[in-house]
Amino acid sequence: MKGNLTRDINAGAVGSAALSVTSLFFIAIMIIAFTANPVAIGTNVGQRAPDIEGKAFNGTSWETFDFESYFDPTWEPSNTSAQWVAIEFMDTDCPFCQSSASDYGQWANTYSANNPNWNGPHVNFLASATELSIQGHDSSRAEIQDFRSDNNHNFPYIDDIDQDNMKEWGIPATPTYFLIQPDGIIAWVSDDANDDLEQAIVRLTPQESA
Amino acid sequence: MSSYFLIAGYMIPTLFGLLLVSPFGRSTADSLSSRFEILSTVRGQITAGLQLIVFFGFAVSAQTFWISSKISEGGNFCSASNVFSCDDLLGNNELNVDPLFGFSWGLIGMFVFAFLLFMVLVIKNEPNGQYTERFINLGALITGVGILTIMLLISYEMKEGKICLYCTTAHIANISALVGFLRLRKLYDDNSAWNEKPSK
Repeated sequence: MKGNLTRDINAGAVGSAALSVTSLFFIAIMIIAFTANPVAIGTNVGQRAPDIEGKAFNGTSWETFDFESYFDPTWEPSNTSAQWVAIEFMDTDCPFCQSSASDYGQWANTYSANNPNWNGPHVNFLASATELSIQGHDSSRAEIQDFRSDNNHNFPYIDDIDQDNMKEWGIPATPTYFLIQPDGIIAWVSDDANDDLEQAIVRLTPQESA
Repeated sequence: MSSYFLIAGYMIPTLFGLLLVSPFGRSTADSLSSRFEILSTVRGQITAGLQLIVFFGFAVSAQTFWISSKISEGGNFCSASNVFSCDDLLGNNELNVDPLFGFSWGLIGMFVFAFLLFMVLVIKNEPNGQYTERFINLGALITGVGILTIMLLISYEMKEGKICLYCTTAHIANISALVGFLRLRKLYDDNSAWNEKPSK
Protein backbone atom coordinates (compact mmCIF):
# COMPACT_ATOMS: atom_id res chain seq x y z
CA MET A 1 0.00 0.00 0.00
CA LYS A 2 1.39 3.37 -1.01
CA GLY A 3 1.36 6.17 1.51
CA ASN A 4 -0.30 9.48 0.62
CA LEU A 5 2.10 11.65 2.59
CA THR A 6 2.99 14.97 0.97
CA ARG A 7 6.19 16.85 1.52
CA ASP A 8 6.21 20.63 2.09
CA ILE A 9 9.71 21.80 1.22
CA ASN A 10 9.08 25.08 3.08
CA ALA A 11 7.90 23.44 6.25
CA GLY A 12 11.34 23.64 7.85
CA ALA A 13 11.66 27.41 7.41
CA VAL A 14 8.09 28.12 8.45
CA GLY A 15 8.24 25.77 11.43
CA SER A 16 11.51 27.06 12.80
CA ALA A 17 10.43 30.70 12.34
CA ALA A 18 7.11 29.99 14.05
CA LEU A 19 8.87 28.24 16.91
CA SER A 20 11.35 31.09 17.37
CA VAL A 21 8.69 33.81 17.32
CA THR A 22 6.28 31.90 19.56
CA SER A 23 9.07 31.33 22.08
CA LEU A 24 10.00 35.01 22.00
CA PHE A 25 6.38 36.05 22.48
CA PHE A 26 5.88 33.58 25.31
CA ILE A 27 9.02 34.76 27.11
CA ALA A 28 7.96 38.43 26.79
CA ILE A 29 4.47 37.70 28.12
CA MET A 30 5.92 35.70 31.03
CA ILE A 31 8.27 38.54 31.96
CA ILE A 32 5.38 41.02 31.90
CA ALA A 33 3.14 38.67 33.88
CA PHE A 34 5.76 38.11 36.59
CA THR A 35 6.84 41.74 36.95
CA ALA A 36 3.53 43.60 36.65
CA ASN A 37 0.27 43.20 38.49
CA PRO A 38 -2.24 45.42 36.70
CA VAL A 39 -5.28 46.65 38.60
CA ALA A 40 -8.56 46.56 36.72
CA ILE A 41 -10.72 49.65 36.44
CA GLY A 42 -14.18 49.20 37.82
CA THR A 43 -16.55 49.92 40.66
CA ASN A 44 -15.99 46.86 42.81
CA VAL A 45 -13.92 46.88 45.96
CA GLY A 46 -10.22 46.59 45.04
CA GLN A 47 -10.63 48.07 41.58
CA ARG A 48 -9.43 51.47 40.43
CA ALA A 49 -12.25 54.00 40.33
CA PRO A 50 -13.20 55.12 36.83
CA ASP A 51 -12.78 58.79 35.98
CA ILE A 52 -15.52 61.33 36.60
CA GLU A 53 -15.85 64.09 34.06
CA GLY A 54 -17.89 67.24 33.81
CA LYS A 55 -18.35 70.58 35.50
CA ALA A 56 -18.60 70.87 39.26
CA PHE A 57 -20.24 73.57 41.36
CA ASN A 58 -18.01 74.62 44.23
CA GLY A 59 -20.32 77.23 45.75
CA THR A 60 -19.47 80.07 43.44
CA SER A 61 -19.20 78.78 39.88
CA TRP A 62 -19.25 75.70 37.66
CA GLU A 63 -15.72 74.65 36.86
CA THR A 64 -14.10 71.68 35.13
CA PHE A 65 -13.86 68.85 37.60
CA ASP A 66 -10.55 67.05 37.97
CA PHE A 67 -11.25 63.76 39.73
CA GLU A 68 -7.67 62.48 39.38
CA SER A 69 -6.35 65.42 41.39
CA TYR A 70 -7.86 63.83 44.50
CA PHE A 71 -5.59 60.79 44.26
CA ASP A 72 -1.96 59.86 44.62
CA PRO A 73 -1.34 56.57 42.78
CA THR A 74 1.87 56.03 44.75
CA TRP A 75 0.07 56.14 48.12
CA GLU A 76 1.12 53.52 50.66
CA PRO A 77 -1.13 52.42 53.55
CA SER A 78 1.60 53.55 55.97
CA ASN A 79 0.75 57.14 54.99
CA THR A 80 -2.13 57.61 57.44
CA SER A 81 -2.65 61.30 56.77
CA ALA A 82 -3.46 61.02 53.06
CA GLN A 83 -6.94 62.17 52.09
CA TRP A 84 -9.72 59.72 51.22
CA VAL A 85 -12.72 60.34 48.98
CA ALA A 86 -16.41 59.64 49.55
CA ILE A 87 -18.72 60.08 46.58
CA GLU A 88 -22.48 59.90 46.33
CA PHE A 89 -24.31 59.30 43.07
CA MET A 90 -27.66 61.01 43.52
CA ASP A 91 -30.59 62.73 41.88
CA THR A 92 -32.00 65.90 43.42
CA ASP A 93 -35.54 64.57 42.84
CA CYS A 94 -34.89 61.17 44.42
CA PRO A 95 -36.70 60.95 47.79
CA PHE A 96 -34.01 58.70 49.33
CA CYS A 97 -31.31 61.19 48.27
CA GLN A 98 -33.29 64.03 49.81
CA SER A 99 -33.77 62.19 53.09
CA SER A 100 -30.11 61.19 53.34
CA ALA A 101 -28.75 64.61 52.36
CA SER A 102 -28.52 65.90 55.91
CA ASP A 103 -26.60 62.78 57.05
CA TYR A 104 -24.21 63.10 54.11
CA GLY A 105 -23.58 66.76 54.91
CA GLN A 106 -23.07 65.92 58.57
CA TRP A 107 -20.52 63.22 57.73
CA ALA A 108 -18.67 65.68 55.48
CA ASN A 109 -18.27 67.99 58.47
CA THR A 110 -17.40 65.19 60.90
CA TYR A 111 -14.74 63.37 58.88
CA SER A 112 -12.86 66.49 58.01
CA ALA A 113 -9.44 67.82 58.94
CA ASN A 114 -11.32 70.84 60.29
CA ASN A 115 -12.96 68.73 63.00
CA PRO A 116 -10.58 68.53 65.99
CA ASN A 117 -12.55 65.59 67.39
CA TRP A 118 -11.84 63.41 64.34
CA ASN A 119 -8.48 61.65 64.61
CA GLY A 120 -8.51 60.08 61.16
CA PRO A 121 -7.61 61.35 57.70
CA HIS A 122 -9.54 64.05 55.91
CA VAL A 123 -12.31 62.61 53.74
CA ASN A 124 -13.20 64.67 50.66
CA PHE A 125 -16.93 64.42 50.06
CA LEU A 126 -18.31 64.69 46.54
CA ALA A 127 -21.74 64.37 44.96
CA SER A 128 -22.46 63.46 41.36
CA ALA A 129 -25.94 64.73 40.53
CA THR A 130 -27.74 62.97 37.70
CA GLU A 131 -31.22 63.13 36.20
CA LEU A 132 -32.85 59.74 36.41
CA SER A 133 -34.94 58.72 33.41
CA ILE A 134 -38.12 58.80 35.44
CA GLN A 135 -41.09 61.09 34.92
CA GLY A 136 -40.91 64.09 37.22
CA HIS A 137 -37.14 63.86 37.67
CA ASP A 138 -36.23 66.74 35.36
CA SER A 139 -33.14 68.43 36.69
CA SER A 140 -30.96 71.43 35.96
CA ARG A 141 -27.82 73.07 37.25
CA ALA A 142 -29.96 75.63 39.09
CA GLU A 143 -31.80 72.80 40.84
CA ILE A 144 -28.48 71.20 41.83
CA GLN A 145 -27.24 74.51 43.23
CA ASP A 146 -30.47 74.94 45.21
CA PHE A 147 -30.27 71.37 46.57
CA ARG A 148 -26.69 72.00 47.67
CA SER A 149 -27.46 75.25 49.46
CA ASP A 150 -30.73 73.99 50.97
CA ASN A 151 -28.78 71.19 52.66
CA ASN A 152 -25.87 73.45 53.67
CA HIS A 153 -23.40 71.28 51.80
CA ASN A 154 -20.00 72.77 51.22
CA PHE A 155 -18.51 70.10 48.93
CA PRO A 156 -18.47 69.99 45.10
CA TYR A 157 -21.53 68.84 43.16
CA ILE A 158 -20.72 67.42 39.74
CA ASP A 159 -23.14 67.93 36.87
CA ASP A 160 -24.04 64.45 35.58
CA ILE A 161 -27.44 65.37 34.18
CA ASP A 162 -26.52 63.55 30.95
CA GLN A 163 -25.87 60.35 33.03
CA ASP A 164 -22.41 59.87 31.47
CA ASN A 165 -20.63 59.26 34.77
CA MET A 166 -23.50 57.21 36.15
CA LYS A 167 -23.33 54.87 33.14
CA GLU A 168 -19.53 54.72 33.29
CA TRP A 169 -19.75 53.66 36.93
CA GLY A 170 -22.67 51.30 36.31
CA ILE A 171 -24.81 52.88 39.04
CA PRO A 172 -28.01 50.84 39.41
CA ALA A 173 -29.93 53.26 41.64
CA THR A 174 -29.59 56.44 43.67
CA PRO A 175 -28.24 57.11 46.15
CA THR A 176 -25.14 54.93 45.77
CA TYR A 177 -22.06 55.67 47.85
CA PHE A 178 -18.37 54.81 47.41
CA LEU A 179 -15.43 55.21 49.75
CA ILE A 180 -12.16 55.48 47.85
CA GLN A 181 -8.61 55.12 49.15
CA PRO A 182 -6.05 57.90 48.57
CA ASP A 183 -4.59 55.90 45.65
CA GLY A 184 -7.92 55.76 43.82
CA ILE A 185 -8.76 52.16 44.71
CA ILE A 186 -12.34 51.58 45.83
CA ALA A 187 -12.45 50.52 49.47
CA TRP A 188 -16.19 50.25 50.04
CA VAL A 189 -19.42 50.32 48.01
CA SER A 190 -22.88 50.83 49.49
CA ASP A 191 -24.41 48.15 47.26
CA ASP A 192 -24.84 44.93 49.22
CA ALA A 193 -22.95 46.43 52.17
CA ASN A 194 -24.09 45.73 55.71
CA ASP A 195 -22.83 49.03 57.03
CA ASP A 196 -23.43 52.62 55.96
CA LEU A 197 -20.86 55.12 54.71
CA GLU A 198 -20.16 56.50 58.17
CA GLN A 199 -19.47 53.06 59.59
CA ALA A 200 -17.27 52.27 56.59
CA ILE A 201 -15.21 55.43 57.11
CA VAL A 202 -14.65 54.61 60.78
CA ARG A 203 -13.87 50.97 60.00
CA LEU A 204 -11.57 51.44 56.99
CA THR A 205 -9.65 54.67 57.48
CA PRO A 206 -6.59 54.70 59.76
CA GLN A 207 -7.07 56.56 63.02
CA GLU A 208 -4.47 57.71 65.48
CA SER A 209 -5.84 55.76 68.40
CA ALA A 210 -6.09 52.57 66.32
CA MET B 1 17.32 60.32 32.55
CA SER B 2 17.56 56.51 32.71
CA SER B 3 14.31 56.38 30.78
CA TYR B 4 15.99 58.22 27.90
CA PHE B 5 18.83 55.66 27.90
CA LEU B 6 16.26 52.89 27.70
CA ILE B 7 14.50 54.60 24.80
CA ALA B 8 17.88 55.02 23.07
CA GLY B 9 18.40 51.28 23.51
CA TYR B 10 15.32 50.69 21.34
CA MET B 11 15.63 53.68 19.05
CA ILE B 12 19.26 53.28 17.92
CA PRO B 13 18.96 49.68 16.61
CA THR B 14 15.65 50.61 14.96
CA LEU B 15 17.25 53.56 13.18
CA PHE B 16 20.21 51.36 12.20
CA GLY B 17 17.70 48.90 10.77
CA LEU B 18 16.07 51.75 8.86
CA LEU B 19 19.49 52.67 7.45
CA LEU B 20 19.99 49.08 6.30
CA VAL B 21 16.62 48.81 4.56
CA SER B 22 17.01 52.19 2.91
CA PRO B 23 18.98 52.65 -0.33
CA PHE B 24 21.52 54.71 1.64
CA GLY B 25 22.59 51.71 3.69
CA ARG B 26 24.60 49.98 0.97
CA SER B 27 27.97 51.44 1.96
CA THR B 28 27.35 50.60 5.63
CA ALA B 29 26.36 47.06 4.65
CA ASP B 30 29.47 46.73 2.48
CA SER B 31 31.71 47.82 5.33
CA LEU B 32 30.16 45.18 7.60
CA SER B 33 29.85 42.39 5.03
CA SER B 34 33.25 40.88 5.81
CA ARG B 35 31.99 40.21 9.35
CA PHE B 36 28.34 39.49 8.49
CA GLU B 37 28.11 37.64 5.19
CA ILE B 38 24.37 38.21 4.88
CA LEU B 39 25.03 41.92 4.30
CA SER B 40 26.95 41.28 1.10
CA THR B 41 23.73 41.08 -0.96
CA VAL B 42 20.95 43.64 -1.16
CA ARG B 43 18.36 41.04 -0.21
CA GLY B 44 20.39 40.03 2.83
CA GLN B 45 20.91 43.65 3.75
CA ILE B 46 17.16 44.41 3.69
CA THR B 47 16.12 41.24 5.51
CA ALA B 48 18.77 41.85 8.19
CA GLY B 49 17.53 45.42 8.57
CA LEU B 50 13.94 44.21 8.77
CA GLN B 51 14.89 41.64 11.39
CA LEU B 52 16.42 44.37 13.55
CA ILE B 53 13.46 46.70 13.05
CA VAL B 54 10.68 44.24 13.84
CA PHE B 55 12.57 42.68 16.76
CA PHE B 56 13.05 46.05 18.44
CA GLY B 57 9.51 47.06 17.43
CA PHE B 58 8.33 43.96 19.29
CA ALA B 59 10.54 44.76 22.29
CA VAL B 60 9.40 48.37 22.58
CA SER B 61 5.75 47.29 22.23
CA ALA B 62 6.27 44.82 25.08
CA GLN B 63 7.83 47.66 27.09
CA THR B 64 4.79 49.92 26.53
CA PHE B 65 2.45 47.08 27.52
CA TRP B 66 4.51 46.59 30.68
CA ILE B 67 4.46 50.33 31.46
CA SER B 68 0.65 50.45 31.04
CA SER B 69 0.34 47.53 33.45
CA LYS B 70 2.71 49.10 36.01
CA ILE B 71 0.86 52.43 35.89
CA SER B 72 -2.45 50.67 36.52
CA GLU B 73 -0.86 49.22 39.67
CA GLY B 74 -0.42 52.76 40.89
CA GLY B 75 3.21 53.31 40.02
CA ASN B 76 4.72 55.75 37.61
CA PHE B 77 7.42 55.09 35.08
CA CYS B 78 8.18 58.06 32.90
CA SER B 79 6.05 60.90 34.20
CA ALA B 80 7.55 64.27 33.45
CA SER B 81 6.39 67.84 33.56
CA ASN B 82 7.67 68.43 30.03
CA VAL B 83 6.12 67.32 26.76
CA PHE B 84 7.88 63.91 26.84
CA SER B 85 5.67 62.20 29.40
CA CYS B 86 4.65 58.71 28.37
CA ASP B 87 2.77 58.11 31.66
CA ASP B 88 0.09 60.59 30.58
CA LEU B 89 -0.60 58.54 27.47
CA LEU B 90 0.23 54.97 28.49
CA GLY B 91 -1.55 55.52 31.82
CA ASN B 92 -4.65 57.01 30.21
CA ASN B 93 -7.23 54.24 30.35
CA GLU B 94 -9.21 55.63 27.45
CA LEU B 95 -6.29 56.23 25.12
CA ASN B 96 -4.05 53.23 25.85
CA VAL B 97 -6.51 50.73 24.38
CA ASP B 98 -7.96 50.36 20.91
CA PRO B 99 -11.42 51.92 20.56
CA LEU B 100 -13.08 48.80 19.12
CA PHE B 101 -12.13 45.88 21.36
CA GLY B 102 -10.34 47.54 24.26
CA PHE B 103 -7.02 45.72 23.72
CA SER B 104 -3.89 47.47 24.93
CA TRP B 105 -2.00 49.15 22.08
CA GLY B 106 1.19 47.62 23.47
CA LEU B 107 -0.25 44.11 23.25
CA ILE B 108 -1.47 44.77 19.70
CA GLY B 109 2.03 45.98 18.80
CA MET B 110 3.51 42.80 20.26
CA PHE B 111 1.25 40.61 18.12
CA VAL B 112 1.84 42.62 14.95
CA PHE B 113 5.64 42.81 15.29
CA ALA B 114 5.84 39.12 16.28
CA PHE B 115 3.94 38.19 13.13
CA LEU B 116 6.14 40.48 11.03
CA LEU B 117 9.22 38.86 12.58
CA PHE B 118 7.85 35.43 11.69
CA MET B 119 7.37 36.48 8.07
CA VAL B 120 10.82 38.10 7.85
CA LEU B 121 12.44 34.92 9.20
CA VAL B 122 10.60 32.77 6.64
CA ILE B 123 11.59 35.15 3.80
CA LYS B 124 15.19 35.15 4.99
CA ASN B 125 15.46 31.37 5.35
CA GLU B 126 13.51 30.45 2.21
CA PRO B 127 13.92 33.37 -0.20
CA ASN B 128 12.48 31.36 -3.07
CA GLY B 129 9.89 29.50 -1.05
CA GLN B 130 6.20 29.34 -1.83
CA TYR B 131 5.32 31.81 0.94
CA THR B 132 7.88 34.50 0.06
CA GLU B 133 5.85 36.66 -2.31
CA ARG B 134 2.73 36.30 -0.17
CA PHE B 135 4.60 37.32 2.99
CA ILE B 136 6.27 40.31 1.32
CA ASN B 137 2.88 41.60 0.17
CA LEU B 138 1.27 40.82 3.51
CA GLY B 139 4.07 42.62 5.36
CA ALA B 140 3.63 45.70 3.18
CA LEU B 141 -0.14 45.58 3.73
CA ILE B 142 0.08 45.20 7.53
CA THR B 143 2.63 47.99 7.96
CA GLY B 144 0.62 50.15 5.52
CA VAL B 145 -2.49 49.74 7.69
CA GLY B 146 -0.20 50.51 10.62
CA ILE B 147 0.29 54.01 9.21
CA LEU B 148 -3.42 54.70 9.78
CA THR B 149 -3.10 53.47 13.36
CA ILE B 150 -0.06 55.70 13.86
CA MET B 151 -2.06 58.69 12.64
CA LEU B 152 -4.79 57.90 15.20
CA LEU B 153 -2.23 57.59 18.01
CA ILE B 154 -0.49 60.82 17.00
CA SER B 155 -3.90 62.55 17.16
CA TYR B 156 -4.13 61.32 20.78
CA GLU B 157 -0.70 62.79 21.50
CA MET B 158 -1.71 66.11 19.98
CA LYS B 159 -4.95 66.10 21.98
CA GLU B 160 -3.07 65.48 25.23
CA GLY B 161 -0.16 67.77 24.31
CA LYS B 162 2.28 65.01 25.27
CA ILE B 163 4.66 62.78 23.36
CA CYS B 164 5.33 59.15 24.32
CA LEU B 165 8.82 58.33 23.07
CA TYR B 166 8.31 54.58 23.49
CA CYS B 167 5.25 54.83 21.25
CA THR B 168 7.17 57.01 18.79
CA THR B 169 9.89 54.34 18.58
CA ALA B 170 7.25 51.72 17.76
CA HIS B 171 5.80 54.06 15.12
CA ILE B 172 9.26 54.53 13.56
CA ALA B 173 9.69 50.74 13.55
CA ASN B 174 6.40 50.33 11.68
CA ILE B 175 7.30 52.97 9.09
CA SER B 176 10.80 51.50 8.69
CA ALA B 177 9.32 48.03 8.23
CA LEU B 178 7.00 49.40 5.55
CA VAL B 179 10.04 50.83 3.73
CA GLY B 180 11.77 47.45 4.05
CA PHE B 181 8.84 45.42 2.74
CA LEU B 182 8.31 47.81 -0.18
CA ARG B 183 12.01 47.54 -1.12
CA LEU B 184 11.84 43.75 -0.80
CA ARG B 185 8.81 43.71 -3.12
CA LYS B 186 10.67 45.76 -5.71
CA LEU B 187 13.74 43.54 -5.38
CA TYR B 188 11.65 40.36 -5.67
CA ASP B 189 10.45 41.50 -9.09
CA ASP B 190 14.08 41.57 -10.28
CA ASN B 191 14.95 37.89 -10.41
CA SER B 192 18.72 38.33 -10.82
CA ALA B 193 19.03 40.85 -8.00
CA TRP B 194 16.87 38.69 -5.72
CA ASN B 195 18.99 35.60 -6.34
CA GLU B 196 22.34 37.37 -6.14
CA LYS B 197 24.88 35.16 -4.35
CA PRO B 198 27.02 36.44 -1.51
CA SER B 199 30.48 37.46 -2.71
CA LYS B 200 33.29 35.36 -1.27
